[in-house]
Amino acid sequence: MLKIEDACIAFGGIELFSGLCVHIDDGEIICISGESGSGKTSLIKAIMGFVPLKKGTITIDDLTLNEHTIEEIRKKIAWIPQELALPCEWVSEMIRLPFELKSNRGINFSKKKLFDAFQELNLEENLYEKRVNEISGGQKQRIMIAVAALLQKPLLIVDEPTSALDSISSERVLNFLHKIAQQGMTVLAVSHDRTFKLGCNKVIYL
Amino acid sequence: MGTIDISYWNLLVGLLMMGIPIYYLQKYKTGLVKGTVVAAVRMLIQLFLIGVYLKYLFKWNHPWINFLWVFIMILIASETAITRTRIRREILFIPLCVGFLISVGLIGTYFLGFVLRLNNIFNAQYFIPIFGILMGNMLSVNVIGLNTFYSGLQREQQQYYYLLGNGATYQEARAPFIRQALIKAFSPCIANMAVMGLVALPGTMIGQILGGSSPNVAIKYQMMIVVITFTASILSIMITIKIASRRSFDKYGRLLHVFKEEKKK
Repeated sequence: MLKIEDACIAFGGIELFSGLCVHIDDGEIICISGESGSGKTSLIKAIMGFVPLKKGTITIDDLTLNEHTIEEIRKKIAWIPQELALPCEWVSEMIRLPFELKSNRGINFSKKKLFDAFQELNLEENLYEKRVNEISGGQKQRIMIAVAALLQKPLLIVDEPTSALDSISSERVLNFLHKIAQQGMTVLAVSHDRTFKLGCNKVIYL
Repeated sequence: MGTIDISYWNLLVGLLMMGIPIYYLQKYKTGLVKGTVVAAVRMLIQLFLIGVYLKYLFKWNHPWINFLWVFIMILIASETAITRTRIRREILFIPLCVGFLISVGLIGTYFLGFVLRLNNIFNAQYFIPIFGILMGNMLSVNVIGLNTFYSGLQREQQQYYYLLGNGATYQEARAPFIRQALIKAFSPCIANMAVMGLVALPGTMIGQILGGSSPNVAIKYQMMIVVITFTASILSIMITIKIASRRSFDKYGRLLHVFKEEKKK
């Protein structure tokens, strides 16, 4: 699914990491961990083409990341940044945003499927009708995970999916990610959460 | 009926009225007195100079000289837009020039050729004022629009990258910022259009009536001026954004440094 070969990221001449090789198969849940500033978020941004590699290659589904393949590669990805702050007033607006993109128009947005995912993540259905400023950070994280699951992309990249959650909610999120991984979605998550790390198939330390 | 000329002495009598705003600006210590005086002096000098060169443009009435005038106006307008938006010259100068040139050329020529049906569309009497009014409107709209577009992209980078990271095309990811730019730049134009003739009498119409035209002719010119300035403005900003995007994003769609570096105090 995802191959990273001999990757190196550097900012201003300072290398965050080098010689990184990672092979991830379909349906795996991978956690990227490490100290602050070790390049975890930079690595996931490099996979989406937002941060340049100083050296090395990234391949997703046999497509090597470069300026010609980047749009095609991004179509295969669902991404949830840390502390997502979109200029949407309503939760429903925030949820529907990725479904309005051309690359996702083949996917029918289903409220039923969304509410099923809400239930598994212990979210109430009435959150859908609320304003974004009325929901907590933890609720927002879980809502976006539910949305990402509905997008049915081959690769889900998520930055700190449990940072605003208690241990019970973190476990629910992990179980939910395992469920979507069994359906074929590969999950790549940046996390400091020890329990979350233990529940992943592999952990990459940077 | 002809227009009554204003003698230089009477012009001076009229300028005395500036004493009233200056009095209030001084009384409330706004700090705007110096700026007002400088602006007023600049306005007088610039308009006197325009009077001189327009006199010769009309006298020569030569297509190439008129073109040259438009070209110089485009360069000055592009330079002004760069100064007022603080966007780097290498990103914006050529896109602005191309945007202004195509818009003013297409819309101005369309109006003079197909609406006014002039035999000679380069006739200075029509060519100069129409192209001039288009340039002025396009400049102000471009400054507001480009500022909104690039400052929005810089402020809301997370939204831009969120959309890209979820499979948006470059066009889709930039669309919310173009939308904001259009709303901010054109809302005042639309509001003005809606109350035109009710709240205030528009400039072109007043000018024509003072110049001796019948109100019937003046309103038709005013209608067309509103339409052509609105159309040319939107066309120019869309062309400018389209061309500038090639210089303000890299091949991966990442936003480059578009604003000039602030000088450290």
